[in-house]
Amino acid sequence: MFSTRRNIIALLSILGLFSCGSRKDALDIGHTDKSVLEAKKIAEVGGFRWDMASGVSIKVLLNQHPYAEAIIQKIPDFEKFTGIEVDYAITPEENYFDKVTTSLNSRTGEPDIFMTGAYQVWEYAGANFIQSLDPFIQDSNLLNPDYRIDDIYPGVLGTLRWDRVPGHLTGTGSQWALPLGFELYSLAYNKVVFEKFGLEPPKTIAELIKICETLQEFDGRGSYPIALRGSRNWGTIHPGFMSTFANYGARDFAVENGKLVSKVNSPESVKMTEDWVKLIKIGGSPSWSSYTWYQAGADLGAGKAAMLFDADINGYFQTGKGASKEAVNIAWAVMPLSEGQKEINSNLWTWAIAMNKASNNKLAAWLFLQYFTSADYSLWSALEMNAVDPARKSVWDNPDFKLKMADREGYYETFISTIDGTRILFTPQPHFFETTTEWAATLQSIVAGKYSSVQEGLDILKKKMDEAVEDIIIE
Amino acid sequence: MQAGLINSDTNFSKKPFLVKARPYLIMTPALLITIGILYPFFTAIFYSLTNYSFRATTFRFVGLKNWTQMFMEPEFWHAILVTGKYALATTGSEMLLGLGIALLLSKESKFTRLLRVLLIFPLMIAPVIATIIWQLMTNNSVGILEKFLNLFGVYNFPWASSAKTALLTATLIDVWVYAPFVILLILAGLQSLPKSPFEAAKIDGGSAWFTFRTLTLPMLKPFMYIALIFRLMASLQEFAIIFALTKGGPGNTLMNLSITGYTTGFAYLKFGESLPYVLTLWLIIYLISRKLVAKWLLVQKTAGGN
Amino acid sequence: MNAKIRRTSVSVVRNTLLTLYALFALFPIFWMVLITFKSDSEMYTTTFLFHPTLHNYKEVLLRTDYFQAFLDNIIVSSGAVLVSVLVGVPAAYALARYKFKGKEDLAFTILSFKFAPEILVILPLFMVYQALGIYDTYFGLIWVYQLITMPLLIWVVRGYFEDINVEIEQAAQLDGYPWHSVFLKILLPLIKPGLVAAGLLAFIFAWNSFTFPLLLSGFRIETVTVASLKYIASDTVHYGQMAVAATVAALPEVILALLIQKHLVRGLSFGAVKG
Repeated sequence: MFSTRRNIIALLSILGLFSCGSRKDALDIGHTDKSVLEAKKIAEVGGFRWDMASGVSIKVLLNQHPYAEAIIQKIPDFEKFTGIEVDYAITPEENYFDKVTTSLNSRTGEPDIFMTGAYQVWEYAGANFIQSLDPFIQDSNLLNPDYRIDDIYPGVLGTLRWDRVPGHLTGTGSQWALPLGFELYSLAYNKVVFEKFGLEPPKTIAELIKICETLQEFDGRGSYPIALRGSRNWGTIHPGFMSTFANYGARDFAVENGKLVSKVNSPESVKMTEDWVKLIKIGGSPSWSSYTWYQAGADLGAGKAAMLFDADINGYFQTGKGASKEAVNIAWAVMPLSEGQKEINSNLWTWAIAMNKASNNKLAAWLFLQYFTSADYSLWSALEMNAVDPARKSVWDNPDFKLKMADREGYYETFISTIDGTRILFTPQPHFFETTTEWAATLQSIVAGKYSSVQEGLDILKKKMDEAVEDIIIE
Repeated sequence: MQAGLINSDTNFSKKPFLVKARPYLIMTPALLITIGILYPFFTAIFYSLTNYSFRATTFRFVGLKNWTQMFMEPEFWHAILVTGKYALATTGSEMLLGLGIALLLSKESKFTRLLRVLLIFPLMIAPVIATIIWQLMTNNSVGILEKFLNLFGVYNFPWASSAKTALLTATLIDVWVYAPFVILLILAGLQSLPKSPFEAAKIDGGSAWFTFRTLTLPMLKPFMYIALIFRLMASLQEFAIIFALTKGGPGNTLMNLSITGYTTGFAYLKFGESLPYVLTLWLIIYLISRKLVAKWLLVQKTAGGN
Repeated sequence: MNAKIRRTSVSVVRNTLLTLYALFALFPIFWMVLITFKSDSEMYTTTFLFHPTLHNYKEVLLRTDYFQAFLDNIIVSSGAVLVSVLVGVPAAYALARYKFKGKEDLAFTILSFKFAPEILVILPLFMVYQALGIYDTYFGLIWVYQLITMPLLIWVVRGYFEDINVEIEQAAQLDGYPWHSVFLKILLPLIKPGLVAAGLLAFIFAWNSFTFPLLLSGFRIETVTVASLKYIASDTVHYGQMAVAATVAALPEVILALLIQKHLVRGLSFGAVKG
């Protein structure tokens, strides 16, 4: 029809124009960002005031989670207090980060605020999606004098601080987000069922598997021993799985010759995975591979599962008056370890809120961040809305909160026993989504019997992970 | 075909320029809009030759690296396998079921006339919504299908949670939505068949099967080809159903080329690397559709000749 | 006698098979609508008999922004169809009436848009739309929806144009009518049924689109298909609400389909098969 060659040349040259415009501000983390400077200027006039961004409208992306439900309850108060209008959207966790990634990637400035975890910071900060909060925290005109940032557990706050060097642990560098709450991992179980079968909480994985054998269909057809996450998603790897992974002495990556090398096919990892797969096959739900934390927790609450090896707070959400069928029967114990091990290793996850680097409303967004991580809000959300585990010392010291905790058998004791060994067990690197999603997919494939052995599956996974982090060079 | 709104003088080349250009002018808006969409196609080819990633701030030309890497990935071949399996399972089932039901519906009766209208409903429902409906029905706690299976002593059937039954579940949903499409097409074909050859065959005393094989089927071929072409092209690139169902899982069971392209490009932000996958998909569809359309045109001629 | 028994038994078998298929096709829809009226507490314990309630509808339609998504769908789908009609009808006419170089090639190219993998188009469009600033806008979605609506419209309407005898136009011309009069006053009324049918069918396809709105919009605009993702499999307690989401998304098109069922086949096959 038209001269094809001429057209191709024309189009390629147009494309050339597009391609030359690469994305601006490579490593600038926003100290000299125009919108940040604007915020500083406004704050300078008269110092910190809650209504200094009155009339601005911001957009917030939330993950479907009790923390989000708490935020939503207080948004009308926030709007009245600050004059800022808040437009929020909730997405279930399965699709949440897809949505965040696409939104941040579009660099339109929306959303202004989004919920995030520590691991995602490795991805997003490296891609320049997040605004560093240091310019705000360090400016006395921008930081609420009553904020009491040192009230936040340094361990938790530190997980959101990173210097963007792969392989470097969290704790140094810019502060990328502020925590809403955090979780560690333990075994929640139905004490009535345990009593009925004369069982004690297991101390090792081997004991756990034995208990699963005893508890087959413990409540008739449709019931099963232990609820576990299994969906094709990073969420499946990071709770009980990753904690047990570390308890078996395995690690995800090692730094060798300035490169990240996956250790996911080490003998320790193979042993751990074999045991975990056994656990799933003997004790897990037949629909295991579609389970996110919601389904796992709901099954414990509904009495369909007798145990839940997951975040301590997941079981917590099933307690409280009328929260679920088995609400009053749920108790906690320290997670089962590997044979002969004394020291507890638990992973740590925190849900936090962060600011979009491309946001056009940073002052208003910053006020939102402060409000919903403040001491008053944290206390209210922990007492009234089940937003545990709180990240602030003052909340844990509060007598009303202590009473609430006492209501949940074993919860506080398990927390105290586990907290010292709680830290992020993953090696920080920006390809976290890819490596852990592939990890979950491999686990699903192993359970489905796709490989001749666990070793084979993990060897293939190691190759994939090495490829994914190929471009990272560590000085 | 005669020209309208101009003289029926068919000597086109003798027309004054403005008149000659008229059809092109009329088509220009349509063309503009569609060319605006053609642009991404060429962009895709360009970027597939780069290491563009949404995560990085610059990118560079890497030649055919993404392409050669893709051909060496077992993922790629697995995706082709899944794409093929899904397309064959769904299109095959729909064609067979469609033909069968259409034949049954071709008999005139109050019942069949009612059914012909009612069966378009699943077709109108968005595949994503259909997936929700089926997930509800197969839900292990409250689903009606679960309760039904319980009557036969089957509990907690895994449906989309097991690698063994995931493809079955996805196919089931696809067939539920799209079988009516095939049915309607073939039914229209059946209804448009001339009566005389069939009356002649009846007089000659041939069996029903014989009539079907030598008369009905050949004359139906053009309609069946259309149904086949549309369904095959669509099922090769199915995205919505699989995405809503398991996002490609369990494991890699349902990772066809579309889902793999999406995951690599949007979830892992490796834009340049994802493009060869979808471009290959396009190539497969293009080649197959050309072959089938050519066949269809041929079949149309011969069926008409009969 | 034998023949009669055979005929009745064939009839019985036919009707049984058809009933089985009808059950397969229609029961899911029926059941889904049924449980929109079931409260969560009765969800586990009852099957068909229960106390109906409107609570689920209230929750979804009034307490979430699902209704807004519903409106977004209407805006984008009707906008897309409108543009397709305005631009496609003249194009269909040109294809029907004129003979010109590359006509069938052009026609097939337009048709082939329907076959293009959506994901292929979306990945580059994602970047282009950002650069042009039309990401997450009605304009952007309406434009990309043309890939879905325009081929359908052009091919079906072309068929209807071809059905009209040229002599009608020529007669009108001889009578001295200008071309736009002929078009508006004579041709359009004749193709109206087909145009309406094609338009409604295009509307339904646009409504059902999932991939485009998933990736080319997201915050300001959320179509009902994308919004329904929120109800997929994650919410393990509010099944009734899941059902409401599905029903609200599906029912309008079911109703529309009833309106155009006579022209359905022609539309679905892009005019290749007469209805």
